[in-house]
Amino acid sequence: MVTQFSRRAILAHIGAAGVSAALPVRAIAQNAYAELEGRPWFFLTDDEARYLAAVTDIFIPEDEFPSASQAGVVDFIDLQLAGPYGRGAGLYMEGPFREGEPTQGYQAEHVPAALIRRGIAETDQADGGLKLVDRDAEGRRAFVGSLSQSEDVFQSAFYEELLKLANWGYFADPIYGGNKDYAGWEMVGFPGAHAYYTSFVDDHNRPFDMPPKGIAHVPGQGPAQFLRTNGREG
Amino acid sequence: MAARTLPKTDVVIIGSGWTGLAAAYELAQAGQRCVVLERGKPRHDATSFAGPEEHDDLKYAHQYGHMMDVREQTLTFRNNSDQTALPMRRLGSFLPGQGLGGAGIHWNGQSWRPLPADLEMRSHYVERYGEQFLDDDDMTVQDWGVSYDELEPFLDFYEKVAGIGGNAGNLNGEIRDGGNPFEGPRSEDYPNPAMKQPVATTLFAEGAAELGYKPFPIPSANMTRAYENPYGAQLHPCTYCGFCERFGCGYYAKADPIICIYDRIRDHENFEIRFNSWVMRVDKSSDGKTATGVTYLDEDGREVFQPADIVCMNAYGLWNVHLMLVSGLGTPYDPQSRTGTVGRNYAYQTLAGANVLFDEEIITNPFMGAGALGMAIDEFNTGNYDAAELGFVGGGYIGSTQTNGRPIGHQPTPPDTPAYGAEWKRAVREYYSRSGGVLLHGSSVASPNNYLDLDPTYVDAFGRPLLRMTFDFPENDRRMAQWGQARAREIAEAMGHVETIADWNRAAPGQSYSIVPYQTTHNTGGAVIGTDPATSVVNRYGQMWDHHNVFVFGACLFPQNLGYNPTGPLMGLAYWTLHYMKTDYLENPRPLMDA
Ligand SMILES: Cc1cc2nc3c(=O)[nH]c(=O)nc-3n(C[C@H](O)[C@H](O)[C@H](O)COP(=O)(O)OP(=O)(O)OC[C@H]3O[C@@H](n4cnc5c(N)ncnc54)[C@H](O)[C@@H]3O)c2cc1C
Ligand code: SF4
Repeated sequence: MVTQFSRRAILAHIGAAGVSAALPVRAIAQNAYAELEGRPWFFLTDDEARYLAAVTDIFIPEDEFPSASQAGVVDFIDLQLAGPYGRGAGLYMEGPFREGEPTQGYQAEHVPAALIRRGIAETDQADGGLKLVDRDAEGRRAFVGSLSQSEDVFQSAFYEELLKLANWGYFADPIYGGNKDYAGWEMVGFPGAHAYYTSFVDDHNRPFDMPPKGIAHVPGQGPAQFLRTNGREG
Repeated sequence: MAARTLPKTDVVIIGSGWTGLAAAYELAQAGQRCVVLERGKPRHDATSFAGPEEHDDLKYAHQYGHMMDVREQTLTFRNNSDQTALPMRRLGSFLPGQGLGGAGIHWNGQSWRPLPADLEMRSHYVERYGEQFLDDDDMTVQDWGVSYDELEPFLDFYEKVAGIGGNAGNLNGEIRDGGNPFEGPRSEDYPNPAMKQPVATTLFAEGAAELGYKPFPIPSANMTRAYENPYGAQLHPCTYCGFCERFGCGYYAKADPIICIYDRIRDHENFEIRFNSWVMRVDKSSDGKTATGVTYLDEDGREVFQPADIVCMNAYGLWNVHLMLVSGLGTPYDPQSRTGTVGRNYAYQTLAGANVLFDEEIITNPFMGAGALGMAIDEFNTGNYDAAELGFVGGGYIGSTQTNGRPIGHQPTPPDTPAYGAEWKRAVREYYSRSGGVLLHGSSVASPNNYLDLDPTYVDAFGRPLLRMTFDFPENDRRMAQWGQARAREIAEAMGHVETIADWNRAAPGQSYSIVPYQTTHNTGGAVIGTDPATSVVNRYGQMWDHHNVFVFGACLFPQNLGYNPTGPLMGLAYWTLHYMKTDYLENPRPLMDA
């Protein structure tokens, strides 16, 4: 199944820690973007994809539930940046641009796609040239830690955008390429887009175990089965 | 290029939200030919909001699929006049609507009446504590010029149009258990029963009752049974689907202007609506005393002049004020001399509270939610407590809601949890179904330093200057929020099964108002109602002092913001204004009050 474009293969080459090597097998079989695995990135370069896998896996690391990149967050970000969101939908982009106060919100002169591209280029070369993906797990955590505390206006906008995109990718409906196998929804117990609770809402403290179902109608497995299929029991 | 001029109509209405469609219904039925101009697109509950496609958290809750597009129009913002205002480049703190139904399709549906004291706020405090009590240079407290008793029939009618469910607390003066004992006397009970309550809001109510307060279900526009409104609209019971605020309701269960009003008037011979029609300005007669109609861009971007005998401004509070400023209607407010009225008394909503995490015995199932699902107490709202020693005015309801468990937005974690990483991930998983909260939904006094005017630098997609908002929380409201926050915390402490409590306060000392995190779409003031032309833009009938054939609707009318969500009060005012238009103005057009 691994083609010359295999995203899994690209993300697997992310250096010593190799945190993203194992994508769940069922992961990409369930949604409109099922063919993603065999396709090139829509927006990202391979290097950018690896950088994003490394950062987002620090944000959302693997435990019983998949890490960000295992759950398709890099695919999600790629699609977002290639689409209207990345090109600045919902963003007023007339100048002049000024730094402003934090209370005045986003003032970067970049649409999200450009913000991410420039942010990666700027931060990955900083600090003696050791690229993020060439660091060990501890080094990556330190890198993300200092990015999160950066007082530089551009870098903090970049960090905020990355954190938001990772979160969206882990928890948005799988039709957007992330949250594969409903990883995020299985983790918290969110039953999804099919919603009808009239006779449950005042039945207090009763667990609601319906497996999740997204917009594309593909049924999920329920948390216990999810952990079994992904070999993550115990 | 000269605008194409269309045949004259009786009434032109700018905007098709709650107020615009109510105006169109009432005036069309009264024999007036109404043209509604809506900048957005047509849409309908059945065809545009059906699940599961509508249940797309990313598209609608986080990428604002139903809201206005800031690339066409936005505003600039600063905390005070020493700063340079910068554009709101992305939506955040509030989410104005666009398209058929306006923000009324993606609201929560919490539906309140103003308190008698709210409408006579200045008189209330002066009578109770003396003139000096309001002697604060940082605040301009006013009466609305309309009393509760006058407004009551219209508040009642709106509640029937929107099928509000709740428990009456004061029925014709009789105080009733289970309702809000502080509300003004209502002539009739709510048209529908109250909502069912989940465990988290029930624990709040039990805690509040233990402290001696009187909790009641938040009055709700999420239907609690099949219902037919006075216009003949059929609504269905709510499924507690948890995709409510920021979404349209495909179940016909959330009262919105499309199903409650539009469907019942769309085929009437006096009704016409034009979509993709951006009103650029209101045009004035040569003597400036009246409006002659409006100029708009049609769907092909061509300039069109629509003459009309009456102009109704229903564009949402902020954009009504913007249209007045770019059209030269009324006199703009000048913060230096404190004269002029358009843009004066802009206010917002002051929020604080205490988030709680429950122990392992509690399973909240947060995804079983609805926009107006919750319990509240009203002991701390304006006039309901003794303010003498506290040194501030206003107040708010304290409540607990369960609106949704959509996982991008609902990620409760204990206070010191990091923003990301293994510990964060475990906490999100652990507490997803174990959180609740207590919220102070506080009022906001108007201040001479908070106002709306035109920005000197930035323009919209049509080349008009952007609206400029100058706002920070006045000291009065900071004191109120700190006090209300402490009351909220006491209730959280009295609640059962609570493991941790985390205080928060948007108006905390030293913290400026930020346009980034969502707070409420309750922007008020800027074109306020009153009985004195020096301090109000419209008279007590909603008619502009300076241009008697211009009528103004929406929360821009509020002289200061109450401790409630605005739609109940603003719809009461809308039906009040429409009543006087129909019964008095139409047969004899003139100023309804002497200036
Ligand atoms: C997420 C959310 C939750 C809310 N929850 C509650 C709640 O629980 N309780 C409550 O009381 N209120 C709530 N509100 C507020 C409520 O939605 C508003 O008070 C109400 O919709 C205001 O009605 P309106 O008619 O004044 O304006 P709108 O509904 O905003 O309608 C204005 C219309 O005018 C159009 N328009 C604007 N400018 C122009 C122009 N130049 N030319 C042509 N058309 C124009 C717009 O496109 C829009 O369709 C909420 C709002 C939001 C966004
Ligand atoms: S919670 Fe109820 S009213 Fe709200 S969208 Fe769902 S079904 Fe409609």
